[in-house]
Amino acid sequence: MAHAARRTPFERLEYALIVSSLLLLVVFTLQPLLNLLALSFSDPAKVPGFSGLSIIPDGFSLDVWTLLLQHPNVQRGLFNSIWMTATSVAIGVVGTALMAWGLSRPELPGRRIIFLMVLVTIVFEPGIIPDYFLMKRLGLLNSPWSVILYKAISAWYLIILVRFFEEMPKELLEAAELDGANPFQTVFLVVLPLARPALATIALFYFVLHWNEFFRSMIYLNDQTKWPLQVVLRQFVIEGDKIAIVGATNANNNIGLAQINIRALKAGMIFITILPVLAIYPLILKYFTKGTMTGALKG
Amino acid sequence: MARMGTSSAPAASSVGNVPKFRRLQNGARRWWPYYVMMAPGLLFFVVWHYFPIWEAKMAFEQVRIIPPNIWVGLKHFQTLFASPVFYSVLVNTLIISAMKIVFVFPVPILVALLLNEIRSGKLRGAIQSAIYLPHFLSWVVIAGVFIALLSPTDGAVNQIQQALGFEPISYMTNTGTIRWVLVVSEIWRSAGWDSLLYLAAIFAIDQQLYEAAEMDGANRWQKIWHVTIPGIVPTIATLFILNMGMFLSADLNQVINMQNDVNASTIDILDTYVYRMGLSTGEYALATAAGLFKAVIGMILVVASHLVSKRLTGKGVW
Repeated sequence: MAHAARRTPFERLEYALIVSSLLLLVVFTLQPLLNLLALSFSDPAKVPGFSGLSIIPDGFSLDVWTLLLQHPNVQRGLFNSIWMTATSVAIGVVGTALMAWGLSRPELPGRRIIFLMVLVTIVFEPGIIPDYFLMKRLGLLNSPWSVILYKAISAWYLIILVRFFEEMPKELLEAAELDGANPFQTVFLVVLPLARPALATIALFYFVLHWNEFFRSMIYLNDQTKWPLQVVLRQFVIEGDKIAIVGATNANNNIGLAQINIRALKAGMIFITILPVLAIYPLILKYFTKGTMTGALKG
Repeated sequence: MARMGTSSAPAASSVGNVPKFRRLQNGARRWWPYYVMMAPGLLFFVVWHYFPIWEAKMAFEQVRIIPPNIWVGLKHFQTLFASPVFYSVLVNTLIISAMKIVFVFPVPILVALLLNEIRSGKLRGAIQSAIYLPHFLSWVVIAGVFIALLSPTDGAVNQIQQALGFEPISYMTNTGTIRWVLVVSEIWRSAGWDSLLYLAAIFAIDQQLYEAAEMDGANRWQKIWHVTIPGIVPTIATLFILNMGMFLSADLNQVINMQNDVNASTIDILDTYVYRMGLSTGEYALATAAGLFKAVIGMILVVASHLVSKRLTGKGVW
């Protein structure tokens, strides 16, 4: 712009300060993650002296990654996380979309009551103990379904979709009705295909929500073989249960995984857990940012 | 067609019932497919969100191994309010929430103001992609990252500290620093992502206001002060009030992953208290009572903040 041409040295200094303070935030955000990533790829012999400031692997080795990915606890955790998240997302998207479609019809009888019923669940949460006892009563304790169905339909995402459907062009629906489509045909052949970008956004919301879920799994699932990756990670890194990953025999005889530096193993575990999120991060940036921006603008 | 019966009903009831019945019949004929579609969702909300409210009556009962439980009224609440531990977790919760409001809440506003000054769209996009990332990581992961970052032996923070000639500090196991760890890790997680809401508000400001300010010879800071900030005050107010509504939720997921034997008492909050009493100690009724206390106060705060926000800025929680 013309403005840029007549910038004084002072203004340039100002701009440099603004850019560098943001770059400082970028460093603060990424350095801790890059440090762990570098640590997980470093030569095991050099890990003990690896600096917390470095972001470049010292030597190179895939030992940590291969050993962890071959570990039965990690494999089981990954498997559980993947199928539980996938199921939750599928149920969540379909359930939310169909309910939102009904609620977005202005003349639907009982619409206000249902809305109120949904809003109440946002403001009033009786807490984890009643939830726990409900699972017990339903016989779902120690069943993955207690976790899969937890927040299967989020009141917030439901409201977002209702707003989206309310703004859909009426002409299309009328055209479908004139063509003799029944409400089911209208939804599955016209509405949902048109809503694909909105549904993709909701699917990503649900994916992040369920992939990162650990608390319900931790309290509902006694059986460690049913644990998703987050709980396996928590046991190892937060609770410091080294044996769970290294194995008692290995630890006692200082063989196998016990020979790998524990810091590097923890770093590798953390990265295996966030890998799926990193993989879809470009999609997240594309859809989430747009979704949040438009949501905020509409207020 | 559903509007048929809206005219006032005739005097004779036998006649009056006909249009009403017809209306119901028409309504059912037209709307049943929608109710079929909504059925799974409705069932989910009733079972997953309303049944627990029924279970919560446990807070007023003595739980017995062999049912039925005995109704004891407010006994558990009396026990709770007489317990010093309850007050200490309540105070912890309030302190942590207050610290977050003071030190975390303003950061994304500042980030958005700075981002808005970046002229190159590419540079801004790159910065945004980096700083949004932590929002999508679980608290288990973030706690793992911070445990490594703050390690007294090889964490980055203590290495810098030692290079500058200071003694290393074990931040995670120090009762004086652990609350600050909660504050800083919350900033790490949300400062970037939360700035998006403010940035959206800034982008919605009328460009003519900036042009007018430039005509008046306003510099960068004057434009920020007189145009940008007034333009986002409603958003700031809404989000501030929303935060106040969450005052009793100091974030269970964060605390439960940062807590250890040494720091437990300093960051024990209402939620961790409920969790420990209920699921570790087995004091179900007492824990439910504490949870219910939090739920009721929380509901009052959220509804009040919604009403205040709606009144002041026209924007509510929903």
